[in-house]
Amino acid sequence: MNPVFRKVQASVAQQALLLNKALTPCRAAPSIQHPVWCTHSVNERQYKGMPTHGIGRWKYLLPKQAPRKKKDKHQMKRIMSATDTAYGTLNVNVSGYDMTVVEHYSQYIHNFCNRLGIKVADSYALPRKSTEVMLMQEQGTKTYVDAVLKTHHRVVQLSTLNAALCPVFMDVLLKNQPEGVQLSVTEHTEADFQARFKARPELEGLIAQMNQ
Amino acid sequence: MTCTLFCSSLYGEHHHLVQSPWFAPVMTLKTSAPLRAEPKKKKKVDPRREQMLRERLKKKLKKLEKVPPELIPIEDFITPTKCLDETRERTAPRLSFEESEGRALLLKEWCRYKQKQHMAEVEAVELALEAQREALEELKLESEELYRAALKPDPLLIPFVHEGPAYTPAIPNYDAPDGKYNDITKVYTQ
Repeated sequence: MNPVFRKVQASVAQQALLLNKALTPCRAAPSIQHPVWCTHSVNERQYKGMPTHGIGRWKYLLPKQAPRKKKDKHQMKRIMSATDTAYGTLNVNVSGYDMTVVEHYSQYIHNFCNRLGIKVADSYALPRKSTEVMLMQEQGTKTYVDAVLKTHHRVVQLSTLNAALCPVFMDVLLKNQPEGVQLSVTEHTEADFQARFKARPELEGLIAQMNQ
Repeated sequence: MTCTLFCSSLYGEHHHLVQSPWFAPVMTLKTSAPLRAEPKKKKKVDPRREQMLRERLKKKLKKLEKVPPELIPIEDFITPTKCLDETRERTAPRLSFEESEGRALLLKEWCRYKQKQHMAEVEAVELALEAQREALEELKLESEELYRAALKPDPLLIPFVHEGPAYTPAIPNYDAPDGKYNDITKVYTQ
């Protein structure tokens, strides 16, 4: 049986090759009258030659992303310095006792910057500061805890601010400042960035020992 | 006074005497080097020991530096467990048809009012920017130097601090109670 099969296969292959050579010009548009099976041999795959080959591909259109490491080191974004027409990296710090008001105000500032086209580098929250209010007792010299006030901070970091745009920007911010909320605009420094991280007393102790 | 002088003289003598191993004071145990029959301290071990210490410190430093610094967790974003308690949930109150209708219409009114406000603000900002642009153009035609000076950022602006408006004005001649503020912010260490 086997040699017969081989002979049949060989003959079919030969026929297919001949047909291929004859039909290469019309291979581009196989229709129902000329079915596709006549143009391929046993070893040749058909679908790579089809005009719809690769029709579903879309990942090659995406921009190439560097592979993300699991341990993402918090890289500090570049601090821009002031130029002739614009301020450098500015930190707009909103602080107050009422968290919802502070958050809504910081969101308003962020939206406003987006509308005006001011680039917002970062928008983060600083850890809240708890202050204990100790009052003196009416009789005696002891102080007792009256209340605990929690101050919340939200920071909107602007990469650059056009000096011509600045007065309009500040005006709108001041007009919309809600009560009980302090607004402060300062320059961004590396110390500000490092203050967001946890203190490492062991590392600092070791460094001090090394320098001794 | 005299006893301190005596003591100081003793100590002075003591300091002077201790320097030479032959004249140890009588009160201390006689543990000078020749009595202990100890070989002389080799000088090789000291720098090696110091080097070993330094290497160990460096290794410790490298290990610690490999670990990236962590951000201080912000307690504002962590919902307290009391709020996640399911037993505290209550169902929404049932409203009559007129009530719900009235509320919906009120919401629409409020939307319209806020939109008017927002549009007015956007228009005001655009007008201000347009006016500024025209003024700068005119200034440019007048003198280049002044134009450049106008575009420069103001160094006196930063740092800028402003307190929000108060709900009530300050009470005149108010006698605040005595007390003090204590900062009890939790300090996180890695």
